[in-house]
Amino acid sequence: MRQETKRIFRRLFRNPSAILGFSLLIFFILVAIFAPLLAPPVNSFNPSMKLPDPYIMPVVSWKQEPIPPTTKKDVDPQKLGREPIRCIDYHPFGIIGGRDIFYGVVWGTRTAFKVGMIVTVISTLIGITIGSISGYFGGWVDEVLMRITDVFLSIPFLVAAIVLTTILGVGLDKVMIALIVFGWMGSARLIRGNILQVKEEQFVLAAKALGVRDVFIITKHILPNTIFPVVIQASMRMGSLVITAAALSFLGLGAPQGYADWGALLSYARDWMLEIGEHWYAIVYPGTAMVLFVLAWNLVGDALRDVFDPRLKG
Amino acid sequence: MVEFLQTHDSGGDGLLTAYIIRRLLLLPLILFGVSLIIFSMMQVLGPDKLLAAYVNPNILDKATEEALEALKEKYGLNDPMIVRYTKWLRNVLKGDFGWSLVGKEPVKDAILERLPYTVELALYAIFPVVVVGIWLGVLAAVNRDRFLDHFIRIFAVVGWSFPDFVFGLLVLMIFYSMLNWLPPGNLSNWAEEIVRSPEFHRYTHLLTIDALLNGRLDVFWDALRHLIGPIMTLSWLWWAYLLRITRSSMLEVLNKEFVRTARAKGLPEKVVINKHARRNALIPVTTVGGAMVINLFAGTVIVEMVFNRTGMGSFTASAALQLDYASIMASALFYSTILVLGNLIIDVLYATIDPRIRLG
Amino acid sequence: MPEPLLIVRNLKTYFYTEDGVVKAVDGVDFEVYEGETLGIVGESGCGKSVTSLSIMRLLDEKGRIVDGEVIFKGKNLLELPEDEMRRIRGNEIAMIFQEPMVALNPVYTIGDQIIEAITLHQNVDEHKARKMAIDLLRKVGIPEPEKRIDEYPHQLSGGMRQRAMIAMALSCRPSLLIADEPTTALDVTIQAQILELMKELQKEYGMAIILITHDMGVIAETADRVVVMYAGKVVEYADVKTLFNDPKHPYTYGLLTSIPRLDIEQEKLKSIPGVVPDPLNFPSGCRFHPRCEFFEKGKCDVSEPELVEVEKGHKVRCYFWKKVDETKKIEAEKV
Repeated sequence: MRQETKRIFRRLFRNPSAILGFSLLIFFILVAIFAPLLAPPVNSFNPSMKLPDPYIMPVVSWKQEPIPPTTKKDVDPQKLGREPIRCIDYHPFGIIGGRDIFYGVVWGTRTAFKVGMIVTVISTLIGITIGSISGYFGGWVDEVLMRITDVFLSIPFLVAAIVLTTILGVGLDKVMIALIVFGWMGSARLIRGNILQVKEEQFVLAAKALGVRDVFIITKHILPNTIFPVVIQASMRMGSLVITAAALSFLGLGAPQGYADWGALLSYARDWMLEIGEHWYAIVYPGTAMVLFVLAWNLVGDALRDVFDPRLKG
Repeated sequence: MVEFLQTHDSGGDGLLTAYIIRRLLLLPLILFGVSLIIFSMMQVLGPDKLLAAYVNPNILDKATEEALEALKEKYGLNDPMIVRYTKWLRNVLKGDFGWSLVGKEPVKDAILERLPYTVELALYAIFPVVVVGIWLGVLAAVNRDRFLDHFIRIFAVVGWSFPDFVFGLLVLMIFYSMLNWLPPGNLSNWAEEIVRSPEFHRYTHLLTIDALLNGRLDVFWDALRHLIGPIMTLSWLWWAYLLRITRSSMLEVLNKEFVRTARAKGLPEKVVINKHARRNALIPVTTVGGAMVINLFAGTVIVEMVFNRTGMGSFTASAALQLDYASIMASALFYSTILVLGNLIIDVLYATIDPRIRLG
Repeated sequence: MPEPLLIVRNLKTYFYTEDGVVKAVDGVDFEVYEGETLGIVGESGCGKSVTSLSIMRLLDEKGRIVDGEVIFKGKNLLELPEDEMRRIRGNEIAMIFQEPMVALNPVYTIGDQIIEAITLHQNVDEHKARKMAIDLLRKVGIPEPEKRIDEYPHQLSGGMRQRAMIAMALSCRPSLLIADEPTTALDVTIQAQILELMKELQKEYGMAIILITHDMGVIAETADRVVVMYAGKVVEYADVKTLFNDPKHPYTYGLLTSIPRLDIEQEKLKSIPGVVPDPLNFPSGCRFHPRCEFFEKGKCDVSEPELVEVEKGHKVRCYFWKKVDETKKIEAEKV
């Protein structure tokens, strides 16, 4: 068994893009973990006071226009009376909407992981449940569930999410609900397909002949054999999920401005479109973070799929 | 019903017709289901909020409890859902979608006015997606594992990872703010005036085509200039996706026996790839490609907002921001219909292209 | 003896895979004369298909011909530039494959595919090519060829598809036809028809055929001379009568005796023990030694025997072929 895992690891990392993907992912994980160190969540006017909610970005400037990046060297510790604190006294990525972009990018990493993982896990679980029931029991149960799935699939993801956020209200949690409600169909179909194939296999018939209860058959025999493609598909969905969530925040339907979310951070740029060339940092830094994050998940998803199920290629 | 068709179709060309009939019969069912979902979602809001769809919010703020109750009665908001749904559905089938806050006109008119802009954008965007995606996909497959393949694939993965709104912002940043080549919006002011004047005949309501038909090349170029940025942005995500599908499909086909037969006949490699392999590879690509084209429509929501253009997309986004429920419901219905119809067309297309399915 | 149409000498084709080098064809020699049928027989994986693909230079990317010569009508095919090779393919040397359903392009009519072959190598217009194609279809025994020519491969039965493939291969009157397991995927009755057809056409066109198969029955029926291959090497080479009546290689002997017979009493069906060796890891010395009933330790597992001509036109690669002779005599006496 160890031989098998070693072989898997070797194949996983054979690809340079896989290595890049995993490295980026690890990088982001580290950023997320060390967020409080990288961007101290303290009151900008009274640095000894901790922020009640670090996800609500502290206001660091009352100026209207965005301010370009400044480094430690630009600050005079003498005048300040203390050592310059990143995000409070100097701003490596600049300021927009009165908020530090570096702070937003760093804590936005946590938000991205949070949103991505919660939505993926829950929607996949829902999908697995529905798909398993549909695939295992077949007949009219299957027909009905599949028609329902079809209907849900008939509304474009973004549009559906928009409609739902309109109803539920603005906010990142509402966005997550919307993404979950309209995100389970892929897993459902996938696992149903796999189950349909596995259902007729010998060992399932054997278990049935022994009188094992249906639920056990599903969980103990069928699922372990069909779960891998679902996991892979889920990891590949992470990327597009984060993009959609950010898009909604960008439009103003998700995380409110001032929340530590990449999409919300980018929405500030909409106010400054005319001279956006001067304020490039407001787009480039959060944008790069987003692209790299999604890229990491896509590369990891690709690598996993190459190793575990080349049939899914493309 | 489905079982009936499955057991009763008569092989041969009956297979295709039975298939089409089955899909056509499911169509209204699905649309029905979609409308039900959308409608039920809206009902979560409750009668108080829904009142905003019928009455001016200013009046609502000042109204008394009794007045509010009376209004709710008037618009039937206290009736059971079935009643309200049937009433709504009947109106919808008549073409009455309610009043649009965003457009300050009936929703139907608001949509009809804005639709051509979105159609124009989506249609133009199809070309770079299809051309670039398929061309690069074939190229990558043919040069499998060589430098060109890796380069193209990396390019594609990055493309696939780029959120469209970030790309759009970057496009505006570089090409508008810095270079001033591609401005946002539909048209420059002077062109706008020309288009609105009575001499300008709107045959198709598509700006570029109309400009040409009216013989105004300057308006045409102006409209095109305003379209390039949005087209680039809209197609950005999707050509990468199409590329992946094309590449893997092509790789599969290149492994097939008949490719070897073609070579054994002495055909030059170019013919083997372009005539024999590609046709087969494109079959699954059409299904996916079609689904993707439909998604282009959904993508217009973001792109039109970023580039400040008129169209269904920005209409939907604005409606969401302003809580214009009537408009949102209509938009959602619209997009879903496009999706469902589009899928049907693609499935039929697929069946016609692949002679194995067409001729049973 | 006239000059052979095709001479294959010391052909070596290796595949460079992730898991190592596969020596699919490792030093193969034979000749094909005009108008005759040479059968190449062996189990799957012995390299017979790869040999034919090497002759046509149709190997996939991982395969490379590392040594040897393939002399066709006096020219070494392995040294020809690609465009000259293309002029030979389908034109002077044609090839048909095992499963016509997957070997024919499903999205083009069989007419299209045959006409393509014709117009590629011959200077005829589409109209004439179409007539030629219809005639060809008729010649290979497809009824109503004017209708069938516009049908797609999946609309024809297995036997008819193979006939269509033959028509396509013969459209330019090649001097050599390579048939790679042409009947393996077909019913036994259809098999007989196709072989009949091939023999007729061979007589009419005067072409040579290389027939690749794993079925000794097919060899008996159609081949004039036979090459027996094992693990990438030729182990026996003789005319068909000699091979069946007087096999001298233990492998050939094993193949022939494992065919169930109706004329003698058999309690147990004889089979060759063991399995085909892993191409990444051939046995030392003689590649057949782990399965050979005449194996002698110290000789067979140490050095590989050469292909030796033991009588006119009969070559064997074995140290102990005489032992095979003795065993045959003993068996013959038993009957």
